[in-house]
Amino acid sequence: MKLHCPPRRDSETSVRGGSGRLLALLALPLLTSCGVTSRMEPYKQTDAVINDGEQVVILARKHHANREAEQEFIDCISESLSKGRTGLEVHSSTAFEDMMYPWFEPSMAPLSTDDLATLLEKPGVMDQVRDTGVRFLVWLDGSTERVASGGGITCAAGVGGAGCMGLAWWEDDARYDATVWDIDELSSAGTIHADVKGRSVMPALVIPLPFIARPQAAACRGMTEQIRQFLTTPEGYGAGPDPELG
Amino acid sequence: MRSARLTVKLSAPLVAIAGALGAGCASSVIVQSDFPTPLIQPLPVRMGVIYSPELQDYVHAESLPQQSTWTIGLGNANLAMLSPLFETMFAEIRTVEDVPLDPSAQLDGVLLPELEKFEFDVPIGTRDEFVEVWMQYSLTLFEPDGEVVTEWPVSGYGKAELTGNREDALSRAAIVAMREVGATISTKFAEQPDVQYWLEENRNEAALSAETRLGN
Repeated sequence: MKLHCPPRRDSETSVRGGSGRLLALLALPLLTSCGVTSRMEPYKQTDAVINDGEQVVILARKHHANREAEQEFIDCISESLSKGRTGLEVHSSTAFEDMMYPWFEPSMAPLSTDDLATLLEKPGVMDQVRDTGVRFLVWLDGSTERVASGGGITCAAGVGGAGCMGLAWWEDDARYDATVWDIDELSSAGTIHADVKGRSVMPALVIPLPFIARPQAAACRGMTEQIRQFLTTPEGYGAGPDPELG
Repeated sequence: MRSARLTVKLSAPLVAIAGALGAGCASSVIVQSDFPTPLIQPLPVRMGVIYSPELQDYVHAESLPQQSTWTIGLGNANLAMLSPLFETMFAEIRTVEDVPLDPSAQLDGVLLPELEKFEFDVPIGTRDEFVEVWMQYSLTLFEPDGEVVTEWPVSGYGKAELTGNREDALSRAAIVAMREVGATISTKFAEQPDVQYWLEENRNEAALSAETRLGN
């Protein structure tokens, strides 16, 4: 049996010819680099905060791009935001899209706050939004992609036993942008950019040992915390670079 | 999108039987969903609608190269999508069998929706993450006497992440595409030039008959 994850000729050859000690030495730098690095850039341009009885809805931008925020990522943020002692009132994205149908379908959804203002002027639309209780719309754009991978693992089985030898690694990049719209003010309240990279490593010395980084889960946690702070902190949050610093 | 396709009209049970017989080398999907009622103002016309047997029993069958044969039933979903749509779009809606209508029907026009094209793509490799569906309906508006006012093609595109099995993903993509079609019909129908002119004519006729009634 031979597993590739995915194969690369050069690294595969070196693994076959090496001993366990050599492999361990080669794997050491990669093992130490296994993990997640994250960067969050919030920018809030108003002092608006969410009040009691007001809700927030998380929606994916779906303008037929090759990539769009995964539904599980939307669900992760929606669920995480509503949990805990400081949980917010989060409206289900599916229920919101159904209630506002057809105005939030991929081809109809407002692309700017000007479009939103035009939409809310249509008969019955503003009343329906009020019925949902939603004040803040959070548009999520982005995705998690595999940006690099390499190495290889070779497994063999015989009468005396079975085992694997080799090293595989891969790197995923979770990049998401959240744009927050304030329906009451008909303006954009700000943006949050998240870039989380995760490198996973799987050395195999008889048994494969996976050290898996989960950048999407880390992005969900980070983005959730940022959105929570964004919506609850009136001042001094994500104000962008200090103008005095240039 | 794949080129080799065959659209046949079968009933839903036949889709299930076809799926069972071809288990392992065939995929069978019956698209079913509840569609939301659109948030729009109704047009002030009394409309008849023809739900043809072809539309109600629509099945798309296609053999994909290097993949299985797909049989996709869309009949139930067609009705589930169009029925609440038309009920909200018009002041009055009634199902009719055919045109021309009997003058006693007292309808301003008749709509005939048809599903003309259905195309889909299911990825083979593990790196492709989305199932895609494209479909095109045709909406023909008739005068009560059977004269064609306009024929309007409406298309919709949908995609769905390939997270579970392929059949589920295809069903979700088809529902997204149908919602898009419903969105376009509900918001753009009255903006079609021929429909605009027809609506204006109907408004004038209604105003004229109201004046005549008042004069009498």
